[in-house]
Amino acid sequence: MTANKVTPLNPLREPEVEAPVPEAVAAGRPVLQVDGVNKIYGNGTVALKGADLTIKQGEFVSLLGPSGCGKSTLLRIMAGLGEVTTGTVKWWEQDYGVVGSKGRKLAFVFQNATLMPWARVRKNIRLPLDLDRAGNAPEVEKKIDDALDMVGLKGFDESFPRELSGGMQMRASIARAMVTEPDLLLMDEPFGALDEMTRNKLNDDVLKLWKEKGWTIVFVTHSVYEAVYLSSRVVVMAARPGRIVDDIEIEEPYPRSPDFRVSTEFAGYCRQVSQALERASAMGERKEGKDS
Amino acid sequence: MKTPLIQNERFVQVAAPLLVGVLVLLMWQLTVVAFEVPKYIVPSPVDIGRSLVSDFSSLFNALMMTLKVTFLAFAISVVLGVAASLLFVQSKWIEISLFPYAVLMQVTPIVAIAPLIIIWVNDTTWALTICAVIVAIFPIISNTTLGLRSVDPNLLSMFRMYRTSRWQELVRLRIPSALPYFFGGLRISSGLALIGAVVAEFVAGTGGAKAGLAYMILQSGYNLQIPKMFAALILITVTGILLFGLMVWMSDRALRNWHESALKVEH
Repeated sequence: MTANKVTPLNPLREPEVEAPVPEAVAAGRPVLQVDGVNKIYGNGTVALKGADLTIKQGEFVSLLGPSGCGKSTLLRIMAGLGEVTTGTVKWWEQDYGVVGSKGRKLAFVFQNATLMPWARVRKNIRLPLDLDRAGNAPEVEKKIDDALDMVGLKGFDESFPRELSGGMQMRASIARAMVTEPDLLLMDEPFGALDEMTRNKLNDDVLKLWKEKGWTIVFVTHSVYEAVYLSSRVVVMAARPGRIVDDIEIEEPYPRSPDFRVSTEFAGYCRQVSQALERASAMGERKEGKDS
Repeated sequence: MKTPLIQNERFVQVAAPLLVGVLVLLMWQLTVVAFEVPKYIVPSPVDIGRSLVSDFSSLFNALMMTLKVTFLAFAISVVLGVAASLLFVQSKWIEISLFPYAVLMQVTPIVAIAPLIIIWVNDTTWALTICAVIVAIFPIISNTTLGLRSVDPNLLSMFRMYRTSRWQELVRLRIPSALPYFFGGLRISSGLALIGAVVAEFVAGTGGAKAGLAYMILQSGYNLQIPKMFAALILITVTGILLFGLMVWMSDRALRNWHESALKVEH
């Protein structure tokens, strides 16, 4: 089992640099395909217009865009939490509706940690397993222990969420996603509310987990730097109506260390993505100007 | 180092109101004695104390009767109130159809319908209990319903993503989320159950073996036994305070690990 081989995260240690790129990236089978998806709310607001996006196995894709560009809407559609008005969503090349929610191995990490305040950390982390009636088998307990260990929360399993810092709560939230061993991990601005130090640390930790577990991640963010640092691809979206306007490959090899943050390549990618984002924002504003 | 008692927050919390109480009683006693106010107008605290001792057996029986109605009504309110809330959150239609009637019960003055209930229900204890339930049930229904609906929308999304049954959603998510609201309802409702019991008894005017504290007050008033009237009044008040204290304690026990209302902030 891969979980036994991975090394636990040590918050004081720099990320390792020697590990190879996961095989999954090379495999690249589409986990999720969004084809011509439109989402129009009851009040007529067009949240998404003609969204096409394919997420391949092992990719780390960031969705970046101004407020109201529909990135969270798109993510929720990917999670099966919202209906599409028109268009199709495919899961492992099969129609989403046909696969049904039972057939999809998905996990979602929300903007805030979304833990149950009345339950201890361990109980929070095992929630998806409890809901799936996984029972109390030793392997279930081991899975939870491994997850706690990997996010650096060993020894905090009997704490209540309020006893943890914001960063630790987010780690618990990631551990909860981890125990389900998802084929696709969707993260909706998970570190937006954290201070920069914690955010950078968690970015490294997520990269490390992604690499070691061979995860596929779609990550919504407001931050150009975060998107460039983490992603293999940055998808830029524009607002009014929400749509995908750019898809930028970040060809920097993994693993990426904090040195990448100060490299000229990083600055170059950030400039490229920022320009794309500016163009996207200008499109939204022009449209707004025309509307009014 | 031993801190002086005056700096001990717990001590001050108990001692300060107690001191005010003692001072007020002292002033009361002195005023009544100094102006020679007759006992049948304003009895002194000492007179009331004497009455508490001398009329103890009749007062105690009355207290037990009132407590019986209060607790019965409170228990029934909790059970029916929670059941109604659970029903309401099952469907918006059920809530829309039934909630106005819960409000109707709340806004109808109990003194206006108590005579009817006393005519319809033969057994006095049950008649009084029904009146008290009508007064006490509403805060439980409204608070618990609000609590069952006040669920973190992201947590709800997550539960839905993991294909949870309605039952699991209720037990694992809605009920724990509703607890703080439910306990808030209990605090209000416990006091109302006592008020309901006393008011209903005033209307019913039940005497004899089934007389409660309200009847004691009425009867003492007719007989100008004002110290006894005050003694009964004190028993009602003390019961109310103890009930409230019990609810606060229970709420604190249940929520102290996680809910903001029960957290002790350290400075």
